[in-house]
Amino acid sequence: MDIEVHIGEIEVTQRPHNLVTCGVGSCLVVTLYDPKLQIGALAHTMLPLSPTQNTEHETHLSGSLSPEAQPSQQTCLVAEQVSAKVKDTKYIDVAIDEMLQRMQTKGAKREDLEAKLIGGANMFSSFNSDIGKNNVLNAKDKLKKEGIKIVGECVGGSQGRSVEFSPTTGVVTVKTKF
Amino acid sequence: MENKLQEVNEQAAVNASEALSKLTDRPVEVEISRTEVKKVEGLSPLIGLEEMVAGIYLPVTGDINGAALLIFPKETAFVLSDLLVKRKPGTTHKLTELDTSALKEVGNIISGNYLTILSNVLQIKIIEHIPNFSFDMFGAIVSQIITDFAQKTEKALVIEIEFTFKPETFKGYFLLLFEVEQFRAMLGSLVGVAAEGA
Repeated sequence: MDIEVHIGEIEVTQRPHNLVTCGVGSCLVVTLYDPKLQIGALAHTMLPLSPTQNTEHETHLSGSLSPEAQPSQQTCLVAEQVSAKVKDTKYIDVAIDEMLQRMQTKGAKREDLEAKLIGGANMFSSFNSDIGKNNVLNAKDKLKKEGIKIVGECVGGSQGRSVEFSPTTGVVTVKTKF
Repeated sequence: MENKLQEVNEQAAVNASEALSKLTDRPVEVEISRTEVKKVEGLSPLIGLEEMVAGIYLPVTGDINGAALLIFPKETAFVLSDLLVKRKPGTTHKLTELDTSALKEVGNIISGNYLTILSNVLQIKIIEHIPNFSFDMFGAIVSQIITDFAQKTEKALVIEIEFTFKPETFKGYFLLLFEVEQFRAMLGSLVGVAAEGA
């Protein structure tokens, strides 16, 4: 079954299901894959960083998910409090935190995860917009900070893209107008 | 005051219909499909996200910031190009620079017409910028606009206008997005209109 991921949303799934999202322009699709457990997550993000009101929220999540962090009553409590809030996953930082949390809940290990980035285009080449480029740069920074390796990317340019991600094989298929 | 927006929409629809009819030498029906306030990322998909379209985007600045986007599905863009460039119907299967330029001019006319009426009726200063063109997936084109918009504001006043070219019934769409808070600040009594779709 194909699970469609809309703009600003996240989905996490396991084989045999696929994750798909269509018409990606300056937005950035981030996929995370655990090849051992065949668990995949896909986020269709719009904007680089959450605004000030989410900074505290972001910090809490990063803290609770840092590679060195051991689960404790305190971090679990923070995670529960955060999950009680509505997470605005159109922001890359919030989306990546949320994907990590959901994948770890399913048993995925941070050190096994592989990330791929798709999108970040500027659809109107005559229009000066850095949003796509900023999305890519911020995602790379965030993934580096979280210790997740990037194994593939199809970013930039002035083309729209559609994405299909198979957690069965780990293959991400990108479709363009050509 | 809320009637003023309706007045603008009605006048713009009549003018756009006349302008497009003149350009294409055939009747064109214009309908204001929707005027509402909504989250920018929640824009209703007019057509399939992967459908190939010609998109003409004109940034709007001045007393209010906004975006004007004219969308022609591929087949409409080809038919329009034949009509605008005076080719035999059915000739165009790929857009040339001339076609792109002609379609951008349509964007200029439709958008300029709407914004001039809005500026006159509401007595505000509006600057329309040069048109930008893209031929790609509908979702990718629209998401570029809403992403640029979402950097500034959570919600937008969205006006959707639909064109139907007769007799073939080819369709085109004109989307206008304005920053709601600016609209509210300038036109206090428009809040009533805004609240309906919020």
